[in-house]
Amino acid sequence: MHDASPLATRPIPAAAGIGLRAPHMPRVLAERPRVPWFEMHSENFFGAGGAIHDALERVRADYPLSLHGVGLSLGSADALDGEHLTTLRALVRRYQPGLVSDHICWGAIGGTHLNDLLPLPFTAEALDLMVTRVQQVQDALGREFLVENVSSYLTFRHAEMTEWEFVAELVRRAGCGLLLDVNNVYVNSVNHGFDAHAYLRAMPRAAVREIHLAGFTRKNDLAVPLLIDSHSRPVDAEVWALYAEALDRFGPVPTLIEWDQDLPELEVLLAEAGRAEALLDVRRTRAA
Amino acid sequence: MSAAPALRELQRGFADAVLSRGGDAVHWVAGAGLSPSARLQVYANAIAGTQIDTLRGTYPAVRALVGEDFFEAAAARYRLQHPSTRGNLQAFGGAFADFLATMPEAAALAYLPDVARLEWLRQEAALAAAATALDPATLAAALDDASPLRLVLHPSLRLLASAHPLLTIWRYAIAPGDGRLQLDGRGERVALWRDGGAVAMAALDAASHACIAALAVGCDLDAAHAEGLAADAHFDLAACLRSLLDQSLIVAFTHTGERPA
Repeated sequence: MHDASPLATRPIPAAAGIGLRAPHMPRVLAERPRVPWFEMHSENFFGAGGAIHDALERVRADYPLSLHGVGLSLGSADALDGEHLTTLRALVRRYQPGLVSDHICWGAIGGTHLNDLLPLPFTAEALDLMVTRVQQVQDALGREFLVENVSSYLTFRHAEMTEWEFVAELVRRAGCGLLLDVNNVYVNSVNHGFDAHAYLRAMPRAAVREIHLAGFTRKNDLAVPLLIDSHSRPVDAEVWALYAEALDRFGPVPTLIEWDQDLPELEVLLAEAGRAEALLDVRRTRAA
Repeated sequence: MSAAPALRELQRGFADAVLSRGGDAVHWVAGAGLSPSARLQVYANAIAGTQIDTLRGTYPAVRALVGEDFFEAAAARYRLQHPSTRGNLQAFGGAFADFLATMPEAAALAYLPDVARLEWLRQEAALAAAATALDPATLAAALDDASPLRLVLHPSLRLLASAHPLLTIWRYAIAPGDGRLQLDGRGERVALWRDGGAVAMAALDAASHACIAALAVGCDLDAAHAEGLAADAHFDLAACLRSLLDQSLIVAFTHTGERPA
């Protein structure tokens, strides 16, 4: 049974956490590994009860928690799904996570959900819509919300601005936080041929609340190589370099290792987090 | 050449493209060294993969019974005929049983839709709200009262009556062991509920099923008792209630006319 008294929010420390997936849950509960914080997918807790809530109660009791959504479909021309938002709000009230986030993307139209993080056209129309939606979510949750830049495999001909202009302007106008996925910046810089460093320079420094790191795969059976944000591999050397640059720019920021496909043993994720921690540590010393 | 689309038009076109319905999206996508349709196909494949994997996870027994290739083909067809309607994938796949019932290639496996129904109910039971079981002594005291009781059963409890030996088939599909599946043609009535972290299932006799089904829809104890007796003149209400209590499946009661506390 869960305690009815409200939990105090535990802030996410500027340290390297890991995305906690169901197969690792038994070991985490049994062994309580030294991990500064965990992030879990919000939608996994949209059921009213069950073993997964019991597990989250126990994780939440011992670790700072971030809830990261994949299904809000913020950038859809459809209205926001009120039931989805209501469920998210109840979840946030119940678990009081340190951070709450979803993506700069769309996923549904005409009531049909594609259950993916789909690319927005970087137009004034899409930007206005995203600003309104993020404000709506922040109002509903009564707290700051973070939006994350996504990987993409196409761009639209009628784009009116660059991705980094779109992201920076969204965060500025909506007054939300930014979850900067450094891997997604790198993947898109290769897929769309832009300068990843210029992207980082365009990000609003004070709004970066969290960084994501993950591994990509390289799709070589096409006319041009495409990097796929598969979350199935260690973080690439180029992404580590870009991450170090991001830390120099934004200071020590809570950082998350994500791994979803071909999930390895927990030790592999802990080792990746350790690498991020070493880079964070240098900046913490410098900042002190 | 199509003019720049409004966001809604773009998203409709994109959805049509990735759901194999054609449309204009290819004209709006920058090729940049790759054909726009190849770029859209990356998304089409990812979306199909995610949704089919979700069905794989929800319907392991159906998958075991029909084999991987058949399952994948059925799932691929299902997701186009019954598109996902929620951002939460736990809600995707609820019509798979009805879809299988209409699939000509599955007609030879008459029990398959019920296996899918059972698996969907297993997921519902796994995700249902928590509730604290009623203390047996409290219920016993209430039973002494003259006015008829209405029982509130655990939110995870589900019932499914099948013309097929459903539980036997499900168990065989998940863990075949050495033996071949022996079907004697008799139907089974299954109760399923969450027990600790796992979903528990049990076969019920006709009278217990009738009684619990009546309780589940809010009939009072006298009416549920009558349902049990109608199915079997020797129905033992006390034994039925005892097994519900033993499994922590009675969570509250009201006297008829009251609202549950």
